[in-house]
Amino acid sequence: MKRLTLLFLFPLLWSCQEEVVLPLGEKDTPIPTIEAYWTDQGSFNEVKLTLSKDYYDSADVEVIRDAQVTITALSSGRVIPFVYLGEAKAYKPANPSEKAVVGERYRLSINWEDKVFVSEGEMLQPPIVDSVTWSFEEERLFRDEGYYIKVYGKIPFTENNNYRIRVIENDTLQNQPEDYLLFDDTFGLQFFEEGLELSYAFEENDKVRLELFRLNRDAFEFLNQLVGLFFNDGGLFSPPPQNPDSNIKVIQGQSEVLGYFVVTPVLSQTVVIQAKYD
Amino acid sequence: MPLFRVLTLFFLLNFGYRAFSQDQESITGEVLDVTNSEPLVGANVYWEGKSSSGVVSDLDGRFSLKITELPYRLVISYVGYEQSVRIISAKDAEKPIRFFLKPEEMSLDEIIIQERRPDEQVKNMEMGKATVPIETIKNIPALFGEVDLLRSLQLLPGVKSAGEGTTGIFVRGGSADQNLVQLDGAPVYNPSHFFGIFSVFNPDGIKSVDLYKGNMPASFGGRAASLIDVSLREGNNVKVRGEGGIGSISSRLTVDGPLFGNNSTFIVSGRRTYADLFLKLSSDENIKNNKLNFHDLSGKVSFVLNDRDKISLSSYQGSDFLGLEREFGLGWTNWVSAVNWSRVSSENFFFDLQGYHSRYSYTVEFDDPENGFEWSNQLSESGLKAVWTFLPNAKTQLAWGAHSQYYHFAPIDLEPAAESAIQPIATNPKNGLLNNLFATATYELSPKLSAEAGLRWGLFNQVGKGVDYLYEGGVPGPEADITDSLSYGTLENMQFYHGLEPRIAFRYLINEQFSLKTAYNRNFQYIQIASNSSAGLPIDRWILSGRYIEPVRSDQISLGLFHNFDQNRWEFSAEGYYKDLRNVIDLRNGAQVLFTDQVETELLAGKGWAYGAEFLLRKNIGKTTGWLAYTWSRTWREIEGVSEGEPYNPRFDRPHDVTLVLNHEFSPSWSAGLTFVYTTGQAVTFPVGSYQMDNQSVPLFPDERNGSRFPDYHRMDASVTWKNADKGRKWRGSWNFSVYNLYGRKNPFAYEFRTIYNDDINYDSTEDGEIISSRPGVVMTYLFTFLPSITYNFQF
Repeated sequence: MKRLTLLFLFPLLWSCQEEVVLPLGEKDTPIPTIEAYWTDQGSFNEVKLTLSKDYYDSADVEVIRDAQVTITALSSGRVIPFVYLGEAKAYKPANPSEKAVVGERYRLSINWEDKVFVSEGEMLQPPIVDSVTWSFEEERLFRDEGYYIKVYGKIPFTENNNYRIRVIENDTLQNQPEDYLLFDDTFGLQFFEEGLELSYAFEENDKVRLELFRLNRDAFEFLNQLVGLFFNDGGLFSPPPQNPDSNIKVIQGQSEVLGYFVVTPVLSQTVVIQAKYD
Repeated sequence: MPLFRVLTLFFLLNFGYRAFSQDQESITGEVLDVTNSEPLVGANVYWEGKSSSGVVSDLDGRFSLKITELPYRLVISYVGYEQSVRIISAKDAEKPIRFFLKPEEMSLDEIIIQERRPDEQVKNMEMGKATVPIETIKNIPALFGEVDLLRSLQLLPGVKSAGEGTTGIFVRGGSADQNLVQLDGAPVYNPSHFFGIFSVFNPDGIKSVDLYKGNMPASFGGRAASLIDVSLREGNNVKVRGEGGIGSISSRLTVDGPLFGNNSTFIVSGRRTYADLFLKLSSDENIKNNKLNFHDLSGKVSFVLNDRDKISLSSYQGSDFLGLEREFGLGWTNWVSAVNWSRVSSENFFFDLQGYHSRYSYTVEFDDPENGFEWSNQLSESGLKAVWTFLPNAKTQLAWGAHSQYYHFAPIDLEPAAESAIQPIATNPKNGLLNNLFATATYELSPKLSAEAGLRWGLFNQVGKGVDYLYEGGVPGPEADITDSLSYGTLENMQFYHGLEPRIAFRYLINEQFSLKTAYNRNFQYIQIASNSSAGLPIDRWILSGRYIEPVRSDQISLGLFHNFDQNRWEFSAEGYYKDLRNVIDLRNGAQVLFTDQVETELLAGKGWAYGAEFLLRKNIGKTTGWLAYTWSRTWREIEGVSEGEPYNPRFDRPHDVTLVLNHEFSPSWSAGLTFVYTTGQAVTFPVGSYQMDNQSVPLFPDERNGSRFPDYHRMDASVTWKNADKGRKWRGSWNFSVYNLYGRKNPFAYEFRTIYNDDINYDSTEDGEIISSRPGVVMTYLFTFLPSITYNFQF
């Protein structure tokens, strides 16, 4: 990927890097961080509650275990309670068969200490995925040599076209900044019908699981801003760094909040890259 | 900017000037520098023993002096040049005479490096103005040996740099898009090459640069912070000459001379980089097939039609190109052209007419069978400006005129390649018509007190073709639904703004060496860049004032003390200012402005203010020249939606700023230059913690924007120049050796807050094996430590 360095602007041809220790400020009190997924597949449904920490603190983040977490279906008022599972370090529906239903709007409520956090989202209809193929490709600009996966499908919607594809390669979630695959309809959606190529080069015998989410706009914006932050190098060409805008509100208590609430359908498929089927 | 030059000159020279005309009672002529045939402005011309009734040469080095008796001895003198005395007979007086003056540097050890009068800063009405002679700029040690006009301006008090290695400038708290950079009166929309590393001006083709830090004359306007007025050089009318240089990054060549006889001249100037030649030398195929270059080309022709009329045409074209393999290309081009007609209607009445067109365009091409596209955009400004200048008496100068500007921001156009699966994007165009009327009067209230009052009235129409969107609740925003859209036909009015821009200045002369000045200026600006990064990019989106975007308004008051001493060898100035800015814009978090047709939904607007004190000690004459400057200044913005609506400092708020520029001539062959800069570090946002998201650590930033600082910035550059002693040969060469960042200071360009794996900041999962350890860290990027370069310059 050396060629990409050139894109990184001319002056950086003369640049050097080194690790430094900067004196950094600290938060008086850690900020609750919420990562909540509510989907039509039970294994995805969980709420992670953690606390922020000092920048140089290399210990694991502290998990909040004593919150009351519920999701409410707004049309019926039915409350779905969540319970904390120590093994998962997350809150899961008390009834594991509970899941999101297309067309329903849901509210997440979290009570912790004297604070109440809420957020809402609508369960959208999933798009159609017809097939997933792979083929070997020579080295190209911005693409290394390797096997590339293409997803073929149809997106028949005129609005709420905000998508994320997650890739799990050999049981490892690809979550480096360049791994995020987010797209909307800015450039149309025809490319999805003609085959959306994932920008990863896979090797033979890789087991690849793909997960496609259709997100509410606020959750999509959060992820977009998160990725923007990962690519923000703090230089002159980057905007001033800001925390992604959370779609979660604090309705009681003096607190800030980080994170987001996702209500989404999930389409998933697993393939094993095999040359003979290329 | 003929009007301003005329006004300044008349004021300064106390009406010694008289129009260039020939009659029976006067002798006329030109005063020129013998080394380069350049006109000498402000030379004293008088009959021997009658210096009090003498005159001074005008902008073209010309003069006209009344004859009392002939033959008689005529004296021509000019600071820094040997005096010339010639006996003028009646026959000599029949036609214009040329006087060539020889610089005194060899005999008197004195050199003058500026074209203005030695006591100009004390006596003129100008505040917040800096003139840097092109010769001074050429003597400043330069990055890669590339003499750079905009980078040189960063060394002046009140002018801040965006950061290491960039030519973007910020004047008295204004943003980069609030500077009007113009070339012979035509605006240059992107004055940078190589993403801001170099400015677009080839120094050999430039005559002068004037920087107005907000206190612009009423004949100029349209930008809130400053005017950077660059004039292309005119060719000489004696013989064809050339100059150029071969440097480590680029080579340049300038040729000038008479065109058709000595009443017309030409100059052509070109420059081309060869960075891509170095890339070709690389053994790495990936690097070898890339392209990275820029070129610029400028030319000017001037015609003296008769004693009264002069016309000049100038044009500049410059392009950059970055190409990766044969698949990706990014190119951008500035093309500006101007025509100027100056007419001396009578001894005290002048007329200047100027027409110009400036165009900026960029193209991004991606040659890919599935996702290929060509994305391009273009913006242009065309203008016509007329200025009348009238000098009714020795105490009064009047000027008035009109200036019409037409802006055309073409649609953003993204065209997919033939087989590409992506869809085309086309926004609507934006057009604006700005008509300005202006008038200004300068009056000497007493020998000590002078006043200048000007008024500019701008009438701005955003006009069709175009589309306005209406939003639910009337306020645009990312969440607001569009309720309707309005389409407008060609030149149909979409939105109207107008504003009066008063410009007032007073100068009180305490004595011949001391003056006090004060000024108040208002400026409106009807175009802006929708960006919140600190350095400009070629693809920046310019936007016009319209239904949802109000024009920027800037008010500045300033007070200054000006003092010259040691026979005007030294100049000292101290200026304080306060500036108020309204309707400045910023972008909302995660804004996407490049392709949207509803850019107003991505913007936030607010106010700003700036204040400061600037001190400058400057020596213009002698073997050692240069300046020492200190600025203390603060800049603030307050924008709803940014930094919790509280005031914050933009990145370029750098309270303390010290600059030392020195040039010393050891001998006619050897000279050396030294610069030192020290500034407070940039205002930036550092994290105050981290949190876990998507199984990775994310830096946690405070709500307050730019509450932290980079470490202080400082750097020293040095250069040595050796030139062949002038032995009368046609070819004269010189070598310049310069070092940027002499003591290798690691000034940060950026800090990244990221996880460091295996204690290796360059850890690569594909090459460096498994992850053994990970921890949060800070990685600093820095540029240009001890960067030597060598340049060969020549003249013929």
